[in-house]
Amino acid sequence: MSEDQYPEITISPEAIKQAVSTRMNARLKMWTRICAHCGLCADSCHFYLAKNKDPRMVPSFKAQKLKELVRKKGRVDENYLQSLYDIAFGDCTVCRRCTMYCPFGIDMAVMVSTIRSILTSQGVAPKGLQDAIKNYQESGNQMAISEEDWVETLQWMEEELQDELPGATIPIDKKGARIMYTVNAREPKFYPQDIQLAAKLFHVVGEDWTLPSKMGWDDTNLAMFAGDAKTAGHIVQLIYDRAVELDVQYVAITECGHAFRSVAFEGPVWLGKDYPFKVVHSVELFAQYIREGRLEFDRKITEPITYQDPCNVSRNGGLADTARYIIKHIAEDFREMEPHGNHNFCCSGGGGAIPMGPPFKRRRMEAGKVKADQIKATGAKIVICPCHNCYDQVNDLNKEYNLGIKVKSFKEIFEEIMHIPEELKAQEEEDLGEGK
Amino acid sequence: MNFIAFVEGPLVWIAFLTFLLGSALRLLLFFTLSSKKDKPVYRFFNLKWMLLSIARWLFPANVDLKKNPIFASLGYIFHICLLAVPLFYSAHLMLWEESRFKWSWWTMPDHWADWMTLTLLAIALFFIIRRIVLPGVRIITTPSDYLLIVICALPFLTGYINTHPDGLSYQWITSALPIYGQYGTTIHIMSGALMLIVVPFTKLSHWVLFFVSRAVTGMEFGRRNYPV
Repeated sequence: MSEDQYPEITISPEAIKQAVSTRMNARLKMWTRICAHCGLCADSCHFYLAKNKDPRMVPSFKAQKLKELVRKKGRVDENYLQSLYDIAFGDCTVCRRCTMYCPFGIDMAVMVSTIRSILTSQGVAPKGLQDAIKNYQESGNQMAISEEDWVETLQWMEEELQDELPGATIPIDKKGARIMYTVNAREPKFYPQDIQLAAKLFHVVGEDWTLPSKMGWDDTNLAMFAGDAKTAGHIVQLIYDRAVELDVQYVAITECGHAFRSVAFEGPVWLGKDYPFKVVHSVELFAQYIREGRLEFDRKITEPITYQDPCNVSRNGGLADTARYIIKHIAEDFREMEPHGNHNFCCSGGGGAIPMGPPFKRRRMEAGKVKADQIKATGAKIVICPCHNCYDQVNDLNKEYNLGIKVKSFKEIFEEIMHIPEELKAQEEEDLGEGK
Repeated sequence: MNFIAFVEGPLVWIAFLTFLLGSALRLLLFFTLSSKKDKPVYRFFNLKWMLLSIARWLFPANVDLKKNPIFASLGYIFHICLLAVPLFYSAHLMLWEESRFKWSWWTMPDHWADWMTLTLLAIALFFIIRRIVLPGVRIITTPSDYLLIVICALPFLTGYINTHPDGLSYQWITSALPIYGQYGTTIHIMSGALMLIVVPFTKLSHWVLFFVSRAVTGMEFGRRNYPV
């Protein structure tokens, strides 16, 4: 039994047939019909390029499996399901780069997502995603962190921060705040410093912000990557409820790509309604602070810097130029990857590839070669990743391909060079220059 | 009614009606199903992103031209020839003028039609070879992909042969297939009719669905405030 085999299930042809037909909407039917099989999408895919132009990595080949699945009318066996599972979860990160190169605008990533959705409905999904879905349903966050632990982490971070900036707070459940900040559950679990950095930044720029204590603080949505629209909608509904209760104007998303896509773009579709608040990604928020003169820097970073455009921040979030506006203010030697912006390659850790766990690690390291080569070519020493998945993946690539780089979020860069007015700092700071 | 009369009369009607009504039905089916199952398409409707996306790909103003300049350019040339020759060839116009509709419009010089026909045939051959040679294209190619290239090329091939009775191609085909001498025009009309008839039932329906698909995707990325 290979380690990336799908969890065992009993195949029900009737249930599969039903799952397929409920999902086949007018767009998907049109796309399975009109694909001209021209192959222009082939070299747009990082899997295709990383695997020496293996024809099975051509996006159209993967996407048109949906057509095959419709034709089979539920008559599938274990081997077939395993091959679909490998393709939909293992050979595609649903980054949507191929969509940009299809002359018909066929959204192949949506087609692969639909295959994922059909598989997940039958219990054929990576264990990492299935566990996360269970956690969301029970605790409202992917890591099953209890409300008590969450609030304690915030209080702990607030105390630590106050050693440095005495007046700084982490306001919990503050009604009427301007923004409700939401985080990736990895932050309280593995990187609580991230929350502290956000709090520090908000204090320095004088933001009126808050975090909810109850479910709805985790903005990630791994159910989206599994194609479980019901749970995905539930996750966004929690955020919606908290934002309405706290009566905020903005819901801000941490430096995480897919969370932004989920809340800002897919959420209104799942919930079938518009929000009474706006959704902003951290990148947008930071750029706004700089534009308004609220965020200033003592210096620029002199080491060569490159920027990893997360698929769900740039291509699927529309913030490619916004990120570069920030970079202009923080980097002396900025080097673009080629290609970049909306046409950037996925890091290969997206689409849930990292949370899918160890069975999928070999694949993402292989496919990540394209990203590793891109980074190497820039000669940059620092890679900015405003996305948790990119962040972890580029760190893994750094080890795998000996890139000799440091991976940083925008907040981590700000931490180094942000101008903090004297009056905000703690006293007894005679030896301030020590660390320099 | 003899066979030739059937082909020149009712078959032409059947072909045009199947093509037009079938294509209209394809659109209608999209709109009826999408109004139930694709509500976001209407909710996020935006004329600007829709038209931008269509224009960028209808005209050569898109990324594929940079990424695959040769294939993308040949694609455009193929489509231009495919549309222009049947629509503007002088002998076709004579038929329209003589028909019950008495329609008339601009015609192209005959030597243009000759060159465009040869160009189309050469590109069609290139498409077939490309499908066989490139593994990344071969894997997604189905038998119908080859067949449809042949179906699209046939009216052009027969048209060229018929209009050049002194040419080598005419001599070759009449010696291989003596009946062609008598039925050349009929075979040409039949091949044209076949091409029109298969449109609504195959990927060739992209002649209308291209606009729908581009619109949908253009608007989806337009929500991110940039054109694709």
